[in-house]
This record gives sequence, structure tokens and C-alpha cells, in this order.
Amino acid sequence: MHTLADPPTMRGRSWADLDDFQAFIDGGGMVEPGDDMPTEYRDEVFRFIEFHANSELMGGLTERDWIPHAPGLRLKQIFLAKTQDEIGHAHLLYMVAADMGVKTRTEMLEQLFDGRSRFHNVFHYQAVTWADQVAIAFLVDAAAFASQRAVFAECTYGPYKRVLKRIVAEEGFHMRHGEEMLLRLATGTPTQHEMFQAALDRWWWPAVQLFGPDSPPGDADPLIRWKIKSQRNEDLRQAYVQKYVPLLHGYGFEIPDPELRQDAEGVWRAGTIDWEPLKATMRQGGPDSKRRIATAAANWADTAWVREALEVSA
Amino acid sequence: MKTYEVFLKKAGRDEFRHAGSLDAPDPEMALMYARETHARRAEGAEMWLVERGNVLVADPDALAVNDDKPHRHNDGTLVAARRKERREGDDS
Repeated sequence: MHTLADPPTMRGRSWADLDDFQAFIDGGGMVEPGDDMPTEYRDEVFRFIEFHANSELMGGLTERDWIPHAPGLRLKQIFLAKTQDEIGHAHLLYMVAADMGVKTRTEMLEQLFDGRSRFHNVFHYQAVTWADQVAIAFLVDAAAFASQRAVFAECTYGPYKRVLKRIVAEEGFHMRHGEEMLLRLATGTPTQHEMFQAALDRWWWPAVQLFGPDSPPGDADPLIRWKIKSQRNEDLRQAYVQKYVPLLHGYGFEIPDPELRQDAEGVWRAGTIDWEPLKATMRQGGPDSKRRIATAAANWADTAWVREALEVSA
Repeated sequence: MKTYEVFLKKAGRDEFRHAGSLDAPDPEMALMYARETHARRAEGAEMWLVERGNVLVADPDALAVNDDKPHRHNDGTLVAARRKERREGDDS
């Protein structure tokens, strides 16, 4: 007799080898925590979910920084709600990741705060003005949202797909808040317009780089082969450029890309992308990496007494 | 810390559905975490929490389709063929 608290692999499906597993995935199979999944799949999917969880947490802490500075009560309330959403997403994802049995939730958090884990490039930069936060809430969140939806579209790991459904729904609210905030700056005073242009100059490239360099050819990327990612990095990036260039032009802003052009079919093509800034963030060497990680670590240390009190009361 | 499984039921006739899991030190905190993590936007009118160790898991093999019990199903082939024949008969 088993309960859900038993180690999961004692009771699930198993596959003879990676080819057998691939045939299962290609046939539309979904993997569940109780399955004896191949170690390669477990490790890759775990890493991907941990990266996503870390990014939600670091993003939530960024939102939190702006609650006192958000102009007006309504925007403060919105930022409070968004912060809670992002931290909530991190919670959901850490539980799903922990159940894969690679690292515990506490190990994941401690490694993040020690600067040993990765998270999205965009959370390695500093938001200088309120307009930067609007650029993050609209442009950067839109990029992250597009890549999450592309995972949700197939996603062969059942628990991840189920929490993504909820995360994607909530990110939809965030998008609407983001574009509304952009609309207010874009149609506000000339100073507000300039503020957003300056923010766009800082955030355009990090947002485009978020999708990562082109996926390796064919199905060389195991996350594509195992249908965790449903689209290639370059296709997601191109769709983003195609959508947001005309939208930003429509609001009267300039894209900080001198090589940006529209081809004969009307498709917007970004200029050459310098991948060094992205690589630097993956080594915690982004412009604001050190401060961000230190702030998150300080928050974890400051709240240690709460965790201790809970353990004692239990 | 104990791990709890969270189930939510929307108002109306839908059944309870698994919403996720969470770690909490005691039942009171578990309920609060569950509300804050899973039900901020009216995702459910009712919520159940069950400690993970209290959820019995059936053996998947025991649930596999019973190929040796065709009498439990009827795919309706014979009746469908008869109906199709009658419809086509009416058209002519």
C-alpha cells in the first residue's frame, strides 16, 4: 500500500531506454512524478523549472522594491498584488521542482541566495526610474510570458503544465496592467514620454536577449526533443520583435537598434545581437547581479526568525 | 514541515480538483498558505487540504484498461451501421 508521501518512483511507469521514452513522448505521452523517468529527462526538466522558479522569485522581489515608489494608491495596490502573484508562482514552481527529488526547496533557495543558481537575464539589471519599471512590467514581462506560453503549449511534464496554466492566466492580468501603464506614460507629458524612451533604450536589448541565442539545429536541444519547449528560441524572438516594434512605434517611441529593418514582406528584422551581456548575467556578472542577489539573501536572512518561530510552534 | 495537497472546487456542480501542494508547519498555517497561494482570485468556493501521507495511491497496473473484459464496453458499431443504412435508405 502506497501513499503520496512515499518516494514516487516506487510506483510509476518505466521505460527500457531513451528511445523507448522518446517514442512515448512522440506519441503524446505525459510524464508524472511517480514515473521512473530517464535521469537525463529528470535533470533537464528540473533545471528548467528551477530556473523558472528562481526568476519568478527574483522578479517578485524587484516588483516589491517599487511598491513605495509607485505613483498613487491604485498603482501601489497593483504592485502589491503583482508581487504576491510572482512570489506565489515561485512557490508553485519550487514545489513542483522539489517533487522531482533532485534538490529540496531549501537547497534551491539557499543556492540562489549564495549566487550559485541562474535566473532570467532581465533581473540582473537595475530599474533606474519608474519608467524602467513600466518597461519591465510591459516589455520584459511580455517576453517572459511569450516563452512561458510556448512551454505551456506542449509541456510533457504533467505537474509543470498544470501550474503553468495558472501562471499564464495571472501573467495575462500583468500584461494588461503593463500596457495600461505604458499608455499613460506614452500619452502623458513630454517628460513622461522622454522617461519611457530612456527606459526603452535600457531595456529593449535585455528583453530581446531573454529568448536566448538560436536553438541548436534540428532537435539537438533535449528540451525541444522531449517537448518541454514547443518553439525554437529564434522563432519566439522573431515573433516578439514582429509584435512589439510596430506597437512601440505606434506610441511614438524609437527602438534602440540602428540595424532594425522591415523586409520586403513587411517583417521586422532585428540587427545583430551581442550575446555577451546575456552570458555575463548567467555568470552573475550583470550590471546589478551582485546587489540583486545580496538583497534577496538579506531578505532570506531577515525572515529566518519567522521560519524558526513556525518550526517551534509546529 | 508537512506537505499538504490542495483541492479546490468552483461554485456550482464541478467536482473538486487537485490544485497543487504546499509545505506548512501546522494545519492553520497550511490553510492560510493555501488561500494565499491558490485562491487569490476566486479560483474556488470550497477548498480541501489533505496531508500527503494520508493520500492512498492505487497501483497503476490495477487501473490499466481491462483488455480481457470487453463486455464492460460497447462501441455501438452494430447499431451505428444499422442507423447509417436506414439514413442512406431514406435519402434514395
